[in-house]
Amino acid sequence: MTKLYSNKVNIMLFILPALFLFFLILVAPIFVSGYYSLFDWNGFGEKTFIGLENFRELFTSKSIGFKKALGNSLLLAFFSVFVQLPISLGFALLLGRGRKGERAFLSIYFAPVLISTVVIGQLWLKIYNPSYGILNVVLRAIGLDGWAKIWLGEVETALGAAFIPTLWQYVGYHMLLMYAAIKSVPTEYREAAMIDGANEGQVNRYIVIPYIKPILKVCTIFAVTGSLKSFDLIYVLTNGAPLHSTEVPSTLMISMLFLRNRYGMGSTIALLLIVLCFAFALIIEAIFRGKEDR
Amino acid sequence: MKKVTALLMSLAMVASLVACGSPAASTAPAAEAPAAEAPAADEAAPADEASAAEAASGEKTDITMWCIAVESDSNRHSYEESIKDFEAAHPEINFTWEAIQNQDYKTKIKAAMAANEMPDIFYTWGGGFLKEYVDAGRVYCLDEAFAEHADQLPENMLVNHKFDGKLYASPNTFNVVGMFTNMELLKEAGYDKVPATYDELIDCCDKLVAKGIIPFGCSGKETWCVTEYLESIVEKSVGAQQMKDMYNGKAAWNNEDFINAVGIFQEMIDKEYFDPEGIALSDNEIKENYKAGKYAFYINGTWNCSDFVNAGMGDIVQVAEFPVINADKSKLGELVGGPNDSLAVSASSPNAELAAKCAFELSQGICHYGYLDGNGLPAWTPDYDTSALNPLTLAVVDIVQNSNATVLFGDNFLNADNANIYLDYVSQIYASAIDGKTFADGLDADLKH
Amino acid sequence: MKTVKGKEALVYLLFGFWALINLFPVYWMFTFSLKSNEEIFGANVAGLPKEWLWSNYTEAMTTGNMGRYFLNSTIIAVITIIIVLLVSMMATFALTRFIWKGRKKMNSFFMLGLTIPIHAAIVPIYILISRLHWINTYQALIIPYAAFSLAMGILICTGFMTELPIDLDEAACIDGCGVWGIFFRIIVPLMKPAVAAISIYTFLQCWNELMFATIFISDGVHRTLPVGVQALAGQYMKRWGPIGAAMVMATFPMLLAYVFLSRKIQDSFIAGAVKG
Repeated sequence: MTKLYSNKVNIMLFILPALFLFFLILVAPIFVSGYYSLFDWNGFGEKTFIGLENFRELFTSKSIGFKKALGNSLLLAFFSVFVQLPISLGFALLLGRGRKGERAFLSIYFAPVLISTVVIGQLWLKIYNPSYGILNVVLRAIGLDGWAKIWLGEVETALGAAFIPTLWQYVGYHMLLMYAAIKSVPTEYREAAMIDGANEGQVNRYIVIPYIKPILKVCTIFAVTGSLKSFDLIYVLTNGAPLHSTEVPSTLMISMLFLRNRYGMGSTIALLLIVLCFAFALIIEAIFRGKEDR
Repeated sequence: MKKVTALLMSLAMVASLVACGSPAASTAPAAEAPAAEAPAADEAAPADEASAAEAASGEKTDITMWCIAVESDSNRHSYEESIKDFEAAHPEINFTWEAIQNQDYKTKIKAAMAANEMPDIFYTWGGGFLKEYVDAGRVYCLDEAFAEHADQLPENMLVNHKFDGKLYASPNTFNVVGMFTNMELLKEAGYDKVPATYDELIDCCDKLVAKGIIPFGCSGKETWCVTEYLESIVEKSVGAQQMKDMYNGKAAWNNEDFINAVGIFQEMIDKEYFDPEGIALSDNEIKENYKAGKYAFYINGTWNCSDFVNAGMGDIVQVAEFPVINADKSKLGELVGGPNDSLAVSASSPNAELAAKCAFELSQGICHYGYLDGNGLPAWTPDYDTSALNPLTLAVVDIVQNSNATVLFGDNFLNADNANIYLDYVSQIYASAIDGKTFADGLDADLKH
Repeated sequence: MKTVKGKEALVYLLFGFWALINLFPVYWMFTFSLKSNEEIFGANVAGLPKEWLWSNYTEAMTTGNMGRYFLNSTIIAVITIIIVLLVSMMATFALTRFIWKGRKKMNSFFMLGLTIPIHAAIVPIYILISRLHWINTYQALIIPYAAFSLAMGILICTGFMTELPIDLDEAACIDGCGVWGIFFRIIVPLMKPAVAAISIYTFLQCWNELMFATIFISDGVHRTLPVGVQALAGQYMKRWGPIGAAMVMATFPMLLAYVFLSRKIQDSFIAGAVKG
């Protein structure tokens, strides 16, 4: 048995397909991007080695506006963590108490996760349509004409309008994960606390939340890296417009790569995105660990 | 810590992977190779001839084409007709084509160029878009195949597709920016003619606004639509030559006339000449609004003629040239536009020489049907009956015949990177986020020549 | 007692309100997919259609070619799921059962895949795919999708596989099974819950992906649903009915499956996050 399971050839045979796919599609491209990020290259012509010039330009050039794009995705991450997750947690706690029909409500809340991002994007485009969209129609119907706006077209509202569908779609996802964790809290803990005279809020605060901390960590990591990676919805809704007010690093990268023929610069953004995702995952890991130590 | 070690480990693994020369790692540098080969494309022609001849004797030759004539495109019909003719005339060619939406098309061409996976024939715009690919040696020189068509395709139609004296694409149609005017709406403002001078235009707009009619509709979502307005104003303020010099980097953007022109445009926005909702609408939506009688003017390419005629607006709409603003610098007949949309052949095509011949034939056909459909003026000299042309297109013919200079659309004139910087600034102008001075300074600083 | 009841009512009110926020956009999509422009833009914005315009669906099927795209998306999703299942189970088998140095590190290495944004790798992958002459083929999407779902597949598998007692393997070994025998006859049949979880996760990934599908597929024959919906929306700017119909067609199968399998689908997602 041990012999069978330590056979090098067997190990290789089993792990190789995964490793091969992983290297080919995920790892190698990262290093290729890293290499190209050092060049001024339009993707088809001659390459000029420029060292770290792309990185410098990215952070200093006003016409690229990378800092703004990065800021936007960090803002999305912020809303994700401090608005989306609390809503999810709140509902998960309410549902997890064992109320009638909790499963049905949970199922409804989770449904948007299953809808294709393109469909969600197109749907919200219709919702936001300045002339016929349901949002403005409703506002006008209840006499708030002044509130009707060109939601995705005005710099002041576009970013918020683009964030809402993103946050909306995934509230249910986080809620489901938290709900499952809450359901796994042993009933004795809860009962013991109740006997000691704790009310629902106290039980949640001192028993449930500490117990589900691991899942809160997972949710936070998903929320933050998901925000940094966010692309599809923004691409469908605004693609960075108006005036780059909804630009995020991914949309900027795509426009560098395919519209502006700046492959070197696009690769630079790709690389930074990956590094950022790793970095944030590590930071969140560290924050949660730090809390556990205390 | 676990993740850090994992990261280090992945680094080590990749190092070994690169050493072994994995397929992915080795393909990447290979992407340079075609660029090196490409300058030899012209010399490679005889070999292509051999392969074409070989193909003709037996198997069908495959020729593929990519273009932007999707089903909703007004050029769709002319492509379909031209291809039908072409296929009938060339049973020895197995012709396949693919239409991709404008924005996706640019993405796809770029990716295909990077991977050297181009179709034989591809649609291209003239100017900077094409030049970048020519400079990289990715486009097949058409001089040889052109010789046969020299008498049908006048030299002045080739200006935007020739680089260093060599022709790289066959133009289909010729379009300028026109001021489409809804005469019914103008009547309400007391005008029965299209305003011929700038002062009249402003007066007309003021009257329209007073009547509660929006003068202009312009898509802010598609910035190229804004340039149709802005460039018309700029050209009629600074003159055609000065405009070309600014695009070329020979003259500074920061000059009084240009800044004034931008000021005029922004003043029009301030005076609510433009539909404020336009900023969030696409060009198609704006056009629908125009057809529904929401705007008095629609300034855009003359390829729209057929659209308006087909919408039954042939009698209501008139097309005219934008009036002169600064008579010291510019005059009537200086237009924005020129021969632009065209077909090119990839240098990497295995049948480049045959494809070049095909490109000219297709282009001539597209031109023919496109002209009759009213999608713009012909780049090729017509040798067919044009008496059935719609009145709008005929009006454009008039305008162009009196033209003395055309300046290509800015986002086509400039290369991809510069064009997008330019468009960025234009959209900021349309949103009144910056003023003319900032615009000019920004362009002087950011455009790379 | 009264206050408790009042509080409960409040909670249910909140539940109902939130359900409305989640359901209303979907409901609206269903209704406008069956309406004419006059109804959508006019008096009947949010109500049920007065006249049920099924022709929107026929149009989405014929002009929009949604049927074909639906088939393509299904083919791609099914093959990707099979690959991900097989490869991730094999890898997890090696990672959890075999005894070798560095298997822990290898595991965390695979987990890095969870954080890599798929778009960041697009051009190198495009070059690779085109070198293989895979542009406009199903595998152009299947292979990248499989690779990007692999990390989650391994994560989920690990959770389930470590729960299987090693005694099973030993019994099989004594009965004369080889490694492959143990894997296919003992382990794989016991991984059913993981199969469901991975399938659903992978399915969603492939079903929704837009960028790769736009760039790697240029012909209509292999086009996927999201690209089709996007293209149709570009074409029918002003006619919402057919767009709505196409969107419903892209959404409906998923929601239908969800109505019957909601518990299972939810468990799968939980498995994805909890089992690791």
